[in-house]
Amino acid sequence: MSRQNWVLIAVLVLLALVPLTGSRYYVFLLTDVLIFGLFAVSLNLLLGYTGLVSFGQAAYFGIGAYAYALLIKKAGLTFGVAFALTGLSGAAAALIIGFFCVRLTKIYFAMLTLAFSQIVWAIIFKWNSLTGGDTGIYGIDFPEFIGSKTKFYYFTLIVVVVSVFLLRRIVNSPFGRILTTIRDNPERTESIGINVKLFQLLAFIVSGFFSAISGGLFAIFNHSIFPDFCYWPISAEVLIMTLLGGMYSFFGPMVGAGVLLYLRLEVTSYTQYWPFILGSILVLLLFFFPGGIVGFFQDQIKKWRPSK
Amino acid sequence: MKRLLVITTICMVMVAFSLPAMGAKDIVVGFPMYLSGGGAVFGKPSAEGAKMLVKEVNDSGGVLGRKIKLLVRDCKNSPDEATRVAKEMINKNNIDFLVGGLTSSQGLALSEVAKQEQILYIAPISKVAGMTEPPRLHKYVFRSAANSKTEGRSGAVLAAKNKKWKRWATIGPDYSYGHSVTAAFIPWLKKLRPDVEIVHQAWPKLGESDYMPFINVVMASKPDAVFGSLWGGHFINFAKQASPLGFFKKIGFVSAGEAGCLEAVKGAGDDMPAGIISNTYDTFYYPDTPWHKAWVKQCQAFTGEKYPSSWLGTGYDAMKFLTEAIKKAGTTDTDAVIKALEGLTINSSVGKLKMRAKDHQAARGQYWGTLTKVPEYPFLILKPVEYIDAEKLME
Amino acid sequence: MNFDFSFVAIQFLYGLTNAMFIFLIASGLSIIFGVLGVLNFAHGSLYMLGAYTTYQCVSFFVDSPGYFWWAVIVASVTVALLGGIIERLLLRRLYQHEQINQLLFTYALVLILSDVARFIWGVDQLSVSRPAVLKGAVEIFGQYFPKYNIFIIFLGPSIAFLFWFFMLRTRSGRMIRAAALDRETLGSLGVNVDRLFTVVFVIGSWLAALGGALVSPVVTIRPGMDVEIIINAFIVVVIGGLGSFWGTFLAALMVGTVYSMGILVFPRLSMIFIYVIMVLVLIIRPWGLLGRPLQR
Repeated sequence: MSRQNWVLIAVLVLLALVPLTGSRYYVFLLTDVLIFGLFAVSLNLLLGYTGLVSFGQAAYFGIGAYAYALLIKKAGLTFGVAFALTGLSGAAAALIIGFFCVRLTKIYFAMLTLAFSQIVWAIIFKWNSLTGGDTGIYGIDFPEFIGSKTKFYYFTLIVVVVSVFLLRRIVNSPFGRILTTIRDNPERTESIGINVKLFQLLAFIVSGFFSAISGGLFAIFNHSIFPDFCYWPISAEVLIMTLLGGMYSFFGPMVGAGVLLYLRLEVTSYTQYWPFILGSILVLLLFFFPGGIVGFFQDQIKKWRPSK
Repeated sequence: MKRLLVITTICMVMVAFSLPAMGAKDIVVGFPMYLSGGGAVFGKPSAEGAKMLVKEVNDSGGVLGRKIKLLVRDCKNSPDEATRVAKEMINKNNIDFLVGGLTSSQGLALSEVAKQEQILYIAPISKVAGMTEPPRLHKYVFRSAANSKTEGRSGAVLAAKNKKWKRWATIGPDYSYGHSVTAAFIPWLKKLRPDVEIVHQAWPKLGESDYMPFINVVMASKPDAVFGSLWGGHFINFAKQASPLGFFKKIGFVSAGEAGCLEAVKGAGDDMPAGIISNTYDTFYYPDTPWHKAWVKQCQAFTGEKYPSSWLGTGYDAMKFLTEAIKKAGTTDTDAVIKALEGLTINSSVGKLKMRAKDHQAARGQYWGTLTKVPEYPFLILKPVEYIDAEKLME
Repeated sequence: MNFDFSFVAIQFLYGLTNAMFIFLIASGLSIIFGVLGVLNFAHGSLYMLGAYTTYQCVSFFVDSPGYFWWAVIVASVTVALLGGIIERLLLRRLYQHEQINQLLFTYALVLILSDVARFIWGVDQLSVSRPAVLKGAVEIFGQYFPKYNIFIIFLGPSIAFLFWFFMLRTRSGRMIRAAALDRETLGSLGVNVDRLFTVVFVIGSWLAALGGALVSPVVTIRPGMDVEIIINAFIVVVIGGLGSFWGTFLAALMVGTVYSMGILVFPRLSMIFIYVIMVLVLIIRPWGLLGRPLQR
């Protein structure tokens, strides 16, 4: 087994032990981090691996949250069925929206994803009878078998670990390697007979699927859901997480989610000017640490052990 | 390598800081409030009012020998942020009680958090009536604010007095508060004056910046008077755009949503229309009674402002209900405090104020009057002004 | 409800006013994108700063004649210079980076500038009075219509026309148009592309700030107005075509009038109409009405 896998197993064991400390703060924070970590990793499949800047990823997160809530509360489905359909709803939305978006490239792609996410937001916001409009949907309870915060933490941990494992298999598969080839040079990839648009669309769908899963998890975690889940600042926030952790490493976005959520929790206790601080962190990051946190440490380790 | 060490040290220090402080004996109250964005103009003074009460209580020895610690956090304008901030404070800061939220959606969201986390919540500002009515009413939610039902009905009482106003239009923000206050106004007006008719209803979105098209349509429906529920800055925008058309000269206007509060009349300056009927939580110029004079003096001393905000009372009263209930219960146990709060009467910023046991709603009225230019102040005031008691208007 | 013709006409004029405000702001966004290739999220922040600075200038100059106009000029130029400084000192270093970095940099500016404004001007709602000449209303078709709105309806096309003239007839204008097409070639021809970029960013910022300054007499100046406007400007730019000047003008007209006429018919769904237009345009012409189907 490789070194990295040992580290991962150690981290997993630590995560599994956290509830034993009895601290509801850590359980709360880590549940949040795991959910947003999955969201950020799913975004990074597009950003870091395929080279597509999606500025509307919040749409699939929100669709996941609303799909789960509606399937449970309005359609009365059982938990298992509803949760599985949650992921599929995100994939279906990504299929439709992605079909139009992959026709464009770079910044035009980003604009289009943003435009579509705003449309999703507007529909959820205005469709009062179904979505509750601005007051959202409330009273989304834990399913019975995960009826406590600790149990939900373990449930989240399992779902996130399985999802991340699958995503890692995907990026390390031949499919994943085609995506990185597309990222590095789309024209050349096209010229060797690969349907670039098709692969981009597939990546978009996979990303939408896992974003929706994280949205569904968040709906249960939060007990209430609101149209703002789809609003563009959420898309920006998850992009920042990804960049902060490092978009060129698989686990970077997870680290970014952890650091950002933790910092926000701490900083907002002391000052109202969190937006200013977040903006400043972002500027520093863009100018001095373009590789993000993980990228920075990888560079340090390389310097430290030049032989490797 | 050195940089690596520095960063690791910083991380460790931060983790150490974030460990919940041990042995704290304070009673901790979480106060998420709208402090950045358009509604902050009311959120900020409300939080100041809460701080004022905390200072008053702590200076006189605290409650049950313990100090009150108030944690004020910005929750912007969305119910989403309010939920997140409240949950953070519950899980991280181990708050004992929750007070706060500004918009109606935030109140509903915080009420939901309270129910789920089994923590007592008092809403100081959020008005949507449904929050303290079944099916959303539950054991943990209380409201010290007026609600949209009594507010709409109060507006109807004043609206019914002018016999010339027969054709009515309404304009309100297209979200829970606007709908619920308008839904309270119309049937009450029709009950008092069966001869009126509603000729048009306009629903601009909350935060609309261009009201002109809405104003034109309202005018096209030729109403005698309009009932509005655009609150705060939304009303100022509306007034700025409607004034040049002679809107307020031609058409009577009854405004819910505190268009008569000091922040609104100061913010609108020259554009504030005289002659409209509106409400406010507090006025520093009325009533001229000893307890109210003392209250105004306390506000002036605490804020250092000559004309203290109309919103201080909202945060102050909510916190006062809480501290008085803890005193009465003799413990901070949530269930005991809930029991103590039901039916409790306090000396509030509007005089004696009772928290009804039946629906956890304070029987709070508001000051209503006609905005009038007076020589004493550089802004319009409500004159004549009266306190419309809520008790008669509630079920 | 039945409406007189006059009310429909007035409704249309309100739509036009709104369209001109949106055009002022969106055109700056569009030109910055067209030349620099940067999607500037902070454009709404510059608009907000334009409004706040106008308020500040009005309170400085309030005793002098024509103070409102001076305030508008001073405020918009100040904010335009701030835009220039941001471009020179910061944004410039990111041109070689990936576009995601430029995008997030402008988002960082949104966060920072909103808090800076909150720090300086607080959270109160501020208000500027209409200039004396444009107070009140005139009668059109038997209805009253504010003078200030008439001024805006005429100002919008004037600025559009001046701009068009500048781009078509002046050397700088031609260079800007050339830069939008091919900046490498332009650089190799000995044109100072760096300076050109700064100029374009300053012009774009000026348009945003001018929008903020001119809107200040009709709305309250308050925190949060930055984020409210940017999405509208963004919708207009997407519909019109990124980087297309006349596309922006056309789209602003469409959005402004459709919105206000929509209020006559379906008051609560007017906002959805705008999004429907956007979806249709995006599906049929993903590069916008007058945009180029060119792929960068």
